[in-house]
Amino acid sequence: MAILEVHDLRKEYGGFTAVEGSSFEIERGEVFGVVGPNGAGKTTTLKMLAGLIEPTGGTAVVAGHTPGEPAMQRRLGFLPEESPLYEEMTAIDYLEFFADLYDVPADVARERIHDSLERLDLEHRDRRIGNMSKGMQRKVAIARALVNDPDVLIFDEPASGLDPLTTNYIIEFTRELSEDGKTIVFSAHNLFHVESICDRIVIMNDGRIVARGTLEEIRDAHGGTEYHVYATDDGSAGLDGTAGPLEVTRENGQVRHVVADMAAVDAVRDAVEAAGGRVTDIQTETPSLEEIFLEVASEPAEESEA
Amino acid sequence: MSDGRLRGIVARLRLFGRHLRGVATRTARIARWEVSRSVGTVDRKTALVLVVMALAISTTGFTAAGDGLGLEREIYVVGVDEDSRYHDVAVDSEQFRPVSLSEIEAESGGDANADSVTIRGDASVDVVVTRDGRIGHTGDNGEAAYDTFRGAVEEYNAKLMDAEDDQSAAYPVLVSLEYQQRDLAGSSESGANDGGETDGSETGTEDGTGGGGDGAGGGADRSGGDEPATGGGTDGTGGGDGPLQVPNVGDGSTASTAPGTPGSIAPPFPFQSLVLAFLFVVPMNFVIQAYGSTIMDERVKRRGELLLVSPVSRYEIVAGKTLPYLLGLIGIVVAITIAIRGGPIAVAAALPIALLFLAATFAGAMLARSFKELTFVTVTISVVLTTYTFIPAIFTDVHSIALISPLTLVVTDLQDGSIRLGEYLFSTGPFYLCAAVLFLLGIGVYREEDMFAQKPIPTKVVDAIASRIRGRRSVFVLSILFIPFVFAGQLLAVALLFALPESFAVPVIIVVAAALEEVAKSVHVYAGFARSRFDATLRTAAVLGALSGTGFFVGEKVTHVVQFVGLPDLSVGAAAFGPAVSSDPLILVAVFLAPLALHVATAVCSAVGASRGRTGYAAGFLAATLVHAAYNLGVILLVA
Repeated sequence: MAILEVHDLRKEYGGFTAVEGSSFEIERGEVFGVVGPNGAGKTTTLKMLAGLIEPTGGTAVVAGHTPGEPAMQRRLGFLPEESPLYEEMTAIDYLEFFADLYDVPADVARERIHDSLERLDLEHRDRRIGNMSKGMQRKVAIARALVNDPDVLIFDEPASGLDPLTTNYIIEFTRELSEDGKTIVFSAHNLFHVESICDRIVIMNDGRIVARGTLEEIRDAHGGTEYHVYATDDGSAGLDGTAGPLEVTRENGQVRHVVADMAAVDAVRDAVEAAGGRVTDIQTETPSLEEIFLEVASEPAEESEA
Repeated sequence: MSDGRLRGIVARLRLFGRHLRGVATRTARIARWEVSRSVGTVDRKTALVLVVMALAISTTGFTAAGDGLGLEREIYVVGVDEDSRYHDVAVDSEQFRPVSLSEIEAESGGDANADSVTIRGDASVDVVVTRDGRIGHTGDNGEAAYDTFRGAVEEYNAKLMDAEDDQSAAYPVLVSLEYQQRDLAGSSESGANDGGETDGSETGTEDGTGGGGDGAGGGADRSGGDEPATGGGTDGTGGGDGPLQVPNVGDGSTASTAPGTPGSIAPPFPFQSLVLAFLFVVPMNFVIQAYGSTIMDERVKRRGELLLVSPVSRYEIVAGKTLPYLLGLIGIVVAITIAIRGGPIAVAAALPIALLFLAATFAGAMLARSFKELTFVTVTISVVLTTYTFIPAIFTDVHSIALISPLTLVVTDLQDGSIRLGEYLFSTGPFYLCAAVLFLLGIGVYREEDMFAQKPIPTKVVDAIASRIRGRRSVFVLSILFIPFVFAGQLLAVALLFALPESFAVPVIIVVAAALEEVAKSVHVYAGFARSRFDATLRTAAVLGALSGTGFFVGEKVTHVVQFVGLPDLSVGAAAFGPAVSSDPLILVAVFLAPLALHVATAVCSAVGASRGRTGYAAGFLAATLVHAAYNLGVILLVA
């Protein structure tokens, strides 16, 4: 059952279209990735879902409510790209204030805050936020997004600008939250992280969704798995076009045939052997999300169905 | 009413009550947080400095109000023996320091003369009282000191008379004083005679002193009074050292200058009350700095984003962040009121000033792009509002124009004067309304899309206004909502210009008043076109212009309250608000309908220009202003 539904969502600023007709659904408990280059419309989309920006057109329903409604805000946890914290407050005071805003009873809030900070391994809780490291501040920001025990979490670049150790910690924590049943909308520039924790992904470019689906679906739609067939270079490799290879190159005294499926592998092998040659190796190459992203981002913004 | 319907109403009322309780609770939470958070931003040293500054300012203010600045304390030296009856006068007066004659007198080698004193070369003395009671002066400051000493003698005698049990004996002739409103139109012609005829010459012949008059006659008052009566005041000025030729002042008695006469009574300039009233404005200038900073902090560091994503409305956020500063100002106002022995009226009059200070700061902080710009904004607010409140209050008890400022109500309250409800509404209404509209405009841009954007202030102003446009009806409503600003702007212009020559002030104010009204009728129409709220067609522009003009006309009728306080009697007042309405029914109908036609026509002119972009709007606005100004001038000439 979809906990978040977006239909033809649009945002225009004067003559500039930041988001154009985005539509998608997110299932309960899913980790949904939103990726794209800078200016693709990711943050605008996330802020429209969070009720921060009013859409120019289209609809969004989050946990059964329109973004911006207090009832929806109570079920949402939002972590913006920057951590705009009140640096003069201590972490505990800050978190208790936000818990109060969300009408969380004081005893429940204390327990929840304690639990979050324990899980985030945040020390020096009584220290002023301004005196904390950036990683610690990010952890406080994540804890704030959890004070109301939300059903839906929107994480916009949760590990932006953090050291690898803290980044891994936060990614792992996000995974734990997913296992706890939270629905998470996740945006990051580090596509390895997106790849590692997201169940489904949309790729945005120029305000439009240009690819969507599971990682496998997107791979299939954008080249999918490639097979590299290596054969001896004994003059028998003049096979260009005969067995339908995508690419043929000579390297290190061998000929590499790049093909799209196993049938093509067999055809190449047969052709090589018929010509007196021999297949020395066959390798499987799976494109990373980053490679797909680079390919998609360089193309005109038209959606390809996954 | 059926039971079902009644239950429905009760249920809705309960729901509304719950909603209100929720709003109050959330607002209070943010207010508490704002206090605790703000306390965390001020370190002990800064807090100490602030406390010291506040104490210094309040002490200086109260001292200045109560005792003056003390600049004239003991500035003159009077030579007088302790057994002289003038010795007590010198002791009583702050401006004189008495020294005995023996300290300043040159060695004479024999008995001292009773009617003359020879001053030593190195003696520093301005006024000398001889042993037989004659008064004379010496040195560069002698003449001024002499005049001042005579004033001190009068004051001293007045005190003695006031202390008399038998007041009939003390004041055998009772004079009733009644101050009349000054006729400005005639003052330029008759000013020279006023003082002499009304106060100076009448009292002058009676008591021989003349007097200062009431100030209306200017310099003529003095010539009609003191000099001839005191006689010999400047005769035989000794000057320099050597034997002092003490002038003959009769028996030295001041009985001839009866205290309590019109001549001895100062014009009704309420300096003390005015300074006390001004004390209300001083802390407001400090508080808005802190308030502006906290709003700016939310924007510059994007901290407000997380409040906006919480289940709290932006109205509650703004109310919560404003409440501590408003309550702080109220606390300060109440404390000052108690300290200066003011009444509830003083608090009620200072409250709208505090509100407008905060509202203007809030709106300014929402528009500024940086703390540097915020500083400029808050300084501008301080100067404009302080000018608006202080300058008109100077004319308390003198002219009805003083009622423009709520400080006038404070001054009146301190003088134990009575204030009618209409006067209170007239003085404070624009402040309350302007504050409300400024808060609404500021809250209009208190959202993610606007508050974190780095746009020039004019662009943000247009954004703020456009955020309040929800269809064509908004144009009508906004024209009404802008009326308080027009009213306040015109009142300020009147206050600033009414003291200048009419030949300059009237034309200027005619144009300024017209321009202000045209801005109020067109700026939201322009904002609507600029932000694509309306189709930029001639038909739409005509409709919007008509709606705006009609809305403004409706709102303007409310401002006719000025008729009740007499501002249109003033030339510049008439230029700003139009002349007082005639009693002729035909004229009344024309006066009623003509402005409607004018407002619609000029608003359509501006709207058509606005639909063509910025340059078109500027041209349309200019044309509308000129037409409006010509209309105002025509009406004034026609009625005059």
